[in-house]
Amino acid sequence: MADQNNPLVVPCKTLEEDLVLLHYGDLAGTERDALQSHLNGCTGCATYLRELGNLLPLTVKADEPAPTFWDDYSRELRHKLDATAEKKRWWQSLAVIFQPGLLSAAAGAAVVAIALAFTLGRGVWPTKDIPHDDEAMMEALPVAENLEFFKAMDVLDDLDLLESMGSQGGAA
Amino acid sequence: MNPRDEELVASAQKGDRRAFEELVERHKHKAYHIAFDFARDREEAKDLSQEAFLKAFSNLKKFDGRSSFYTWFYRILVNLCLDYKRRQKRAPSDEFDETVEHQLEPSHQPSIPMSPDQHVLAGQISHKVGVALQALPPKQRTAFILKNHQGLSIKEIAEMMQTAEGTVKVHLHRAVTALRQRLAEFA
Repeated sequence: MADQNNPLVVPCKTLEEDLVLLHYGDLAGTERDALQSHLNGCTGCATYLRELGNLLPLTVKADEPAPTFWDDYSRELRHKLDATAEKKRWWQSLAVIFQPGLLSAAAGAAVVAIALAFTLGRGVWPTKDIPHDDEAMMEALPVAENLEFFKAMDVLDDLDLLESMGSQGGAA
Repeated sequence: MNPRDEELVASAQKGDRRAFEELVERHKHKAYHIAFDFARDREEAKDLSQEAFLKAFSNLKKFDGRSSFYTWFYRILVNLCLDYKRRQKRAPSDEFDETVEHQLEPSHQPSIPMSPDQHVLAGQISHKVGVALQALPPKQRTAFILKNHQGLSIKEIAEMMQTAEGTVKVHLHRAVTALRQRLAEFA
């Protein structure tokens, strides 16, 4: 392990990317040969490559679960797949009901049904809001009687006035 | 003779559940290990890889065969892993907890028994590596994990990340440079 205070080795800047690829074995042909021969004479690049070889394997955290883990894994996933398939079926049946064609047909039918109910239902069901002619008369009658009463009161007022005028004239 | 992935996919698309379960059996180990490389936790890796299979199952009809099932499926998995990491980043950051690290270690113990000091050191290295990996931008982390941990070729990674091979090389180089700086003490 390198000393923590040591500065990092500096490889040739233009070759750094190729050195990474060489480390992973992803450099081939003439490029690889040229870099190999460069490494023979360049301490910086050679040290850098060695550093990658020490450092990068450390970043891998290996994990090999026991065979029972894989049995549980498959069983658990099968249950999840069952649940997903069930949910999918449910959505599909719902989707059939709410298909765009079916939905618009149902909406059209509803509009027609409401229109028919309004048109044909007028004669069948008595309306509560609009009173019948007789009922209207019965409601208007008391009002008309009240008017007659007030008119009669006006005549009485006039008689009193005439009477008082007559008595005044007799006195004179 | 075993049917190819594409044949199994075609059967599964027609509703053959057994065909899909065969695909699961073929890919579960690799899927789990990729998820583990991102999550570095056994339960999370199991959940993430299973979630990827469920997502693939639900979207199987959308698979048009332009890429291989392998590439298509691992793209789903990697995206889920990156989303998981994003969600985890939003959660409060965890301080290095030696106890937790020790609880995780037994499942990854090498065959040679370690001394208590070595065990602590291994835990510390593992934690620092985890933090350094998490600090990488998602594309660099993906390129690095798929190359360094999974040994995929640059071409395969490019297909999975839907990018050019040159771009993958740049991401990989930048990831290695950043990790080298962060983990200089172990180089």
